[in-house]
Amino acid sequence: MSAVIEAVGLRKVFGDQVAVAALDLRIERGEVFGLLGPNGAGKTTTIRMLTTLLAPTAGVARVCGFDVATHPSEVRRRIGYVMQTVAYRGLLSGRECVEIEASLYHLPRRDVRRRAHEVLDAVGLLPHADRRWTTYSGGMKKRLDLACGLLHAPEVLVLDEPSLGLDVQSRHKVWEYVRDRQAGGATILLATNYLDEADRLCNRVAIIDHGGVVVSGSPAELKRSVSADVMQVATGDPERLRQVITPEPWVKEIVGGDSGDLHVYVEDASVALPAVMRLALAQDIKLERVTYSQPSLDDVFLLHTGRELREVEVAS
Amino acid sequence: MKADQALPQEQAPASGAVQARGQARSQWAQEVLALARRWWIELLRERLNLLFSLLQPAIWLVFFGAGVERAMDAEVIGTADYMGFMLAGIITFTIVGNGVSGAMPLLWDKETGYLDRLMSMPIARSSVIVSRFVFQVAQQSAQILLVVLVAYALGVRIATGPLGLLVILVAAALLTMSVTAAFSALAYAVPQHGTFFAIAGFVSLPLLFMSNAFVPLHAMPAWMQVVARVNPLTYAIEAMRTLVLDGWALRVASSLAVLTLAAALCLAAGTQQFRKQTGERVQRR
Repeated sequence: MSAVIEAVGLRKVFGDQVAVAALDLRIERGEVFGLLGPNGAGKTTTIRMLTTLLAPTAGVARVCGFDVATHPSEVRRRIGYVMQTVAYRGLLSGRECVEIEASLYHLPRRDVRRRAHEVLDAVGLLPHADRRWTTYSGGMKKRLDLACGLLHAPEVLVLDEPSLGLDVQSRHKVWEYVRDRQAGGATILLATNYLDEADRLCNRVAIIDHGGVVVSGSPAELKRSVSADVMQVATGDPERLRQVITPEPWVKEIVGGDSGDLHVYVEDASVALPAVMRLALAQDIKLERVTYSQPSLDDVFLLHTGRELREVEVAS
Repeated sequence: MKADQALPQEQAPASGAVQARGQARSQWAQEVLALARRWWIELLRERLNLLFSLLQPAIWLVFFGAGVERAMDAEVIGTADYMGFMLAGIITFTIVGNGVSGAMPLLWDKETGYLDRLMSMPIARSSVIVSRFVFQVAQQSAQILLVVLVAYALGVRIATGPLGLLVILVAAALLTMSVTAAFSALAYAVPQHGTFFAIAGFVSLPLLFMSNAFVPLHAMPAWMQVVARVNPLTYAIEAMRTLVLDGWALRVASSLAVLTLAAALCLAAGTQQFRKQTGERVQRR
């Protein structure tokens, strides 16, 4: 298989702040690849380098075989970039925005109208095409940006947190869009903070933190690597409980969540559950709640970064 | 799905450098026109903005001309036709004002992030500034024609006639190129819009006072004359004023030459600044 996006030792430094440390990525043709990480992890900086908006401090990145630093025009011709923030389009109508951008992609004049019609249709905005952009809802504005990303039928779509701040309905439309594009043969790089979104859409994901890839693989692989099951134990005395159960053979790993809960990774929760309760009872440790679940990407994230994604988001 | 179908490959592979250059040029023209269309639509939808910007120079001429005329010494300004004298100054004043307000959309694009979207497209870096320039020249030519019409009603006759008016528009366009490029560069260089307005406000009036807009050069103190001589505004005013009051003269040609030089310098500096601010250091196109 051929890599459509490839980064080796990619690095970006702003002053004395290292935004991206030494990032390696390899994204194959036709994949939906998720870039996960808390705010400030280096996702957007990585994307800005891959879309030729920032020159890398060191390292190499190639998109469709073209080096982003030496052949930015070739790269720009092949990518559709949908920014995290909705693009401000002033007093124009949806159709005017799309037609103007079609001309900026050098579509022949006779094709501009037809193509604008097609991409507006693809995101379901055709009925609202002649309304002014200022009257659009947040979800519609986002879909307009998504439509503009399709104008030149790019081989690669780069979507930076496309469903951020959208309502459930609009999120579903974004997911539909991603699936349709993949079915059409596009390669998609999707940065997101929503692990459920990554789980649904992505063939492979990379979790990045502190400017580097912490772990990557398919969502199923990553979850399997965590463990078979995860128990969440809420107790008034997590430290003592940790000491008590750590030597037990069925414990694979214990991570303290930010909320004070213990996340105990075990082979089989149906065996471990009574064992935890028995031990706690014998040592007189009060348990408030014990639940267990199949591991989610949240657990993967916690295991590899030591933080829960949601907590990090709130804190930053 | 229809939207995923590959586009028909409309451009045959370039067989030679000439053909490639021709294609790059037509693409560049397409970019500039598309961006200018955006500015044009916005202007038409902002009716009040359109109305006031069109009328402003004419109103300035009437109020300023009528008020200050009596305080002026015809000996000092060299003519009894103060309105005619002021016409070039008012036009230049308008160009500077347009330069400041014309950079605003670029400032918004930068702050709202749309500039990033533009920069992720395969467009030439110069086309954004050039589209602003094309748009401003069109808008401003309308303003100038209107103010000339008002001046005509007040008794001002352009000594060189309609052809002279055409040359006045050319001089105005050349100065516009300098001013637009300079303020665009400033818009891209500043960290945020407050800084832009502070600097633009600080610069605009001295730029006018340090020229022959209101007072002829020979009436200025020596040090001020020196400053005025390196101010491109002076040359635009000199060319326009000569065309209005005196007639055809070699001065007009030399002033236009200086304006051309200044425009080229400002455009080069503006594009360079734009490239720097948009992180583009690698590719010419």
